[in-house]
Amino acid sequence: MELNFVGLAAALATFFGVWWGHVSVRKIERDVVNLWVPTSIAIVLGLGMWLASTLTSNLPLSAAAGILGVTLLWDALEIAVRQPRRIKKGEAPANPNNPRHAKILAEYPAATTIDLLDRDPIGRQYSVEEIAAMKAGEK
Amino acid sequence: MNFFGIFICLVTLFVIGLGFVWVIRGERYFGYLWWPYVMGFGIALIIGALFVSNNWVSALLGAAGASLIWGSTELKEQAVRGELGWFPYNGKKIDPPFVDVIKKWKAPSL
Repeated sequence: MELNFVGLAAALATFFGVWWGHVSVRKIERDVVNLWVPTSIAIVLGLGMWLASTLTSNLPLSAAAGILGVTLLWDALEIAVRQPRRIKKGEAPANPNNPRHAKILAEYPAATTIDLLDRDPIGRQYSVEEIAAMKAGEK
Repeated sequence: MNFFGIFICLVTLFVIGLGFVWVIRGERYFGYLWWPYVMGFGIALIIGALFVSNNWVSALLGAAGASLIWGSTELKEQAVRGELGWFPYNGKKIDPPFVDVIKKWKAPSL
């Protein structure tokens, strides 16, 4: 039986596209002041991947390039819109050394420098007081 | 021009979107301790994709498998999100088989 590598290519592109996107979006949004720069780069790279996927006749390569393209375009949305929204809501830690984040920390009471997700589940809901105490530990 | 990759990526985008939904719902009702089963199922789908001759089905299985593996690494953080009140919390979750063994393993989080 001949092995079909289209699925493996799709799997690798999906997993690494999502993983690298997940990690790089958090790091880039945390460190960069002008988000339009990385957002534009992600859009150009994503569209470039899409173009590449149409120009190759190799199906595994076409699938991988197409999937990496769509994950890059999604990353652009994450960098420009979704991650800054998480920072404002305190669902991701703000970087006080980034002037854009410093402004968010000053304007949005829920914003915090603490990574509230960096813990193991405890099997029950946290009380409001416990969450406030976690955030109070930041200063 | 070859539009195979474009169509596959649109299907993959839908599969990844479904991942958001099942991670949230799955963790709420079953808990994060199911992660080894989810990861194993994802790996099985990717291995199965190698033996499917139809390119569309193979690609779909591969993308779905990878999405399941990624989702299995997201379950722990989703459990914390529920405990923090960012998502509805359900205290009566359905434990997986061999839960005591799984509790000794470190749940993956990427």
